[in-house]
Amino acid sequence: MTHAILSCNGLDKPEGSVAREVAIRAAAATGSEIICPVLLHRAPARYKKALSENAVIVVDGCSTRCASKLAESLDIKVDRKVLVSDVLKSSGIALEPTLNLGPNGVGLAQAVVDGLLQSLNASSEPAPSAVSSVVFAPPTEHLVVTHDKFEFRIPVADYMFNENDVWVRAVDDVARVGISDYMQQSLTDINFFDAPKTDAVVDQFGELGSLESAKAVFEIIAPASGTVVAVNAEVVANPGLINEDPYGKGWLVEMKLTNWPEDRELLLKPEAYAKTVKHKAEEA
Amino acid sequence: MSDTTFMGVPRDKIPWFPTIDYDKCNYCMECDTFCPHRVFERREGDRKLVVANPNHCVVFCRACSKTCGPDALSFPNKTEILALIKQIRAEESAK
Repeated sequence: MTHAILSCNGLDKPEGSVAREVAIRAAAATGSEIICPVLLHRAPARYKKALSENAVIVVDGCSTRCASKLAESLDIKVDRKVLVSDVLKSSGIALEPTLNLGPNGVGLAQAVVDGLLQSLNASSEPAPSAVSSVVFAPPTEHLVVTHDKFEFRIPVADYMFNENDVWVRAVDDVARVGISDYMQQSLTDINFFDAPKTDAVVDQFGELGSLESAKAVFEIIAPASGTVVAVNAEVVANPGLINEDPYGKGWLVEMKLTNWPEDRELLLKPEAYAKTVKHKAEEA
Repeated sequence: MSDTTFMGVPRDKIPWFPTIDYDKCNYCMECDTFCPHRVFERREGDRKLVVANPNHCVVFCRACSKTCGPDALSFPNKTEILALIKQIRAEESAK
């Protein structure tokens, strides 16, 4: 698969300069086309062919996420994203405070490119499905919380919720995780699922990746402790499934649970979560 | 919202809310625009943005920090806050 790279233009912060360098180096390494954000904004037709024929990689410098927001505003489907400021935090590198990249900035850019290339190579090889053989039948019965013209569904079956609007459904020590109908409606159209890595070990209330919509970035807060054993590839390819079917086809990850008897004590059953949703809807 | 609870613990006993680093904040107001819970308030004067309603902040949510370009928002350690919540719950159930 070929790629087009839409990057921060790198003229506001050092992290942006790193993003720009990442785009140049990654394009050279992969033969990808670079999409200039300023020209894309001014004359989107210039890149119509490149965007329609290639998988798009977005490289943001900082959390302002100008490149991501530009992609959202133009309905560009994004294949993967890199946020330099996140990589910087986890790298321990002290970035020089200038727009001209110093040795540390260049090193960070190359580290980001290496990670990106590794991820591209990994996803080009067919991965064996790690989705469990457990059957999670679609819910058939729901509680409905009504507020103004909105209706929020909550399945009454074996779903449990944290107060951060994430559900978990456990069968023995395997569980599926997703977000509630209330949250998917709050986010509106979800256009990107930044999934956790399989084999990631997560504590209860730790981070299980994030979701992005035009409205917000939503940190997925783990409802239980465990190891991520599978990511819903259909949702990665089509995040709109979360909006269409948040409790079924829109599940996000499967986990092997490590502390379920204790973790479940800090979760809500559907009836209690319905009260929480009612309260949140009234306060919003 | 200070009369609300989180996991059965009174919200005002849980010190989870953002802290603004005023050396970094550029007052772009992205966080205030984003947050639907009115945690922040805009003010006149040197500090044009303050955390006015800390107990409105959704415990464990750090979404506003993900909108912050200059990385001026920080939150407490999740593990320590969770331990505190469990401790308060245990104390309450022992009464």
